[in-house]
Amino acid sequence: MTSNPKGQANMTKTGMIDFRGVNKWFGALNVLKDITLSVEPREVVVVCGPSGSGKSTLIRCINGLEAIKDGDLIVDGQRLGDPATNMTRLRTEIGFVFQSFNLYPHKTALENVTLAPIHVRRIPRAEAEKDGRELLAKVGLGDKVDAYPGQLSGGQQQRVAIARCLGMRPKIMLFDEPTSALDPEMISEVLDVMVAVAEEGMTMMVVTHEMGFARKVAQRVVFMDAGAIVESGTPEEFFSHPKTDRSRAFLSKILRH
Amino acid sequence: MIWQQLQSLAGSYPLALRGLGMTVALSLISLVLGTLLGFGLGILRTGGNRLISAAIGAWVDLIRGTPFLVQIFLIFFILPELGIELDAFTAGIIALTNLAACFICEIVAAGIRSVPTGQVEAALASGLSRWQRMRQVVLPQAMRIVLPPLVGQYVLLIKDSSVVSAIGLTDLTRVGWLVVQRVPNGLLVFFLVGLGYFIVCYPLIMLARRLEQRIGAAHGEVQL
Repeated sequence: MTSNPKGQANMTKTGMIDFRGVNKWFGALNVLKDITLSVEPREVVVVCGPSGSGKSTLIRCINGLEAIKDGDLIVDGQRLGDPATNMTRLRTEIGFVFQSFNLYPHKTALENVTLAPIHVRRIPRAEAEKDGRELLAKVGLGDKVDAYPGQLSGGQQQRVAIARCLGMRPKIMLFDEPTSALDPEMISEVLDVMVAVAEEGMTMMVVTHEMGFARKVAQRVVFMDAGAIVESGTPEEFFSHPKTDRSRAFLSKILRH
Repeated sequence: MIWQQLQSLAGSYPLALRGLGMTVALSLISLVLGTLLGFGLGILRTGGNRLISAAIGAWVDLIRGTPFLVQIFLIFFILPELGIELDAFTAGIIALTNLAACFICEIVAAGIRSVPTGQVEAALASGLSRWQRMRQVVLPQAMRIVLPPLVGQYVLLIKDSSVVSAIGLTDLTRVGWLVVQRVPNGLLVFFLVGLGYFIVCYPLIMLARRLEQRIGAAHGEVQL
């Protein structure tokens, strides 16, 4: 270990998100096995793999929804679990889109988007609402600002959820199977919004099986199985020349149709 | 005979009004305090700290598992032994507030637990503080579950306030005991006492019903 005045881990090469030998257990089950992965600023990484492979757990660790057991996880230069790291503050820099949307059902689309900017960022209400309306318009829901989540379709709800994240002007966006709970005809409207976010230069980690999305915007595809990263490469490499039996088996299943 | 009794009863109406006033005052003060305390306890009960949660759970079980009359006697007769002098009204307020807080704590805790974890995770992910998550996301959703049983509990607690007559507070029930000594017609006197409680409780019963209907209707619109 080189001497470091701040006593932090050696920072020779730090990505926006840096996993260094991360392990996590659920009881006796080793759900993340020695994960080492670095995501650069403005990079879009797609994470795929069979269910139960640990991909959701992987991205849930990044904003501390799950705690890691050992190894280092450094996000935006701050080490998770370090007493000096203000987790609440760090979370404001990380947008998280859930499979089941998790919009606040008692608040309108606009209120969902403005809640955190008003209460966490302390942006004046009028300004936050102006911002919120623009973001909702950007995701194609300019006419739904006053609708409650229960009045919106799944695809619309997920687009509100993305706008809710963007309202915080995050540095990182994480997507946990954002289209898995959607009817097929609604998937593309959500993916279009995600593509637009990616093209604006957002650092993104996306757990998804939407290979069209991966080909279009991802710089890298990470394939996980049984808690470990088995393979990692450009979408082109991964889809055309998968290197392992497990990734070939996985691809043959999801690309069969 | 019955005419004389009725006349004599009519003469007791200032006493009856005082009793009704006492019942309403006791109920109102202890319900307001009990609600505040109950929400606080309910939030702590579901908070992360296991020790606090277990302590509250044990206290709530103890209070729910013992007769209210015994609790009042303990507060009114035992506390002075320990050097804490209480008048009957204060003792009544303390006992009723404690009882209300314990029942309301469980109602609030059940409401909070009914909010899906995804809601808390979403609030957590957007950087809301613990209190903001509670205030902005969890409690508003928990209230749908909490409100109808809460108002129902108010009705039960107003009726439980009759027990404080045992330590000499002149509430509606004690007025009944006093009057029946002069007008020996228990059926008539306690019918009127019962009517007094019913007049106080019935609006709340109606309110609970309205709330249940309104929340039931709103549920179709706001799902998840």
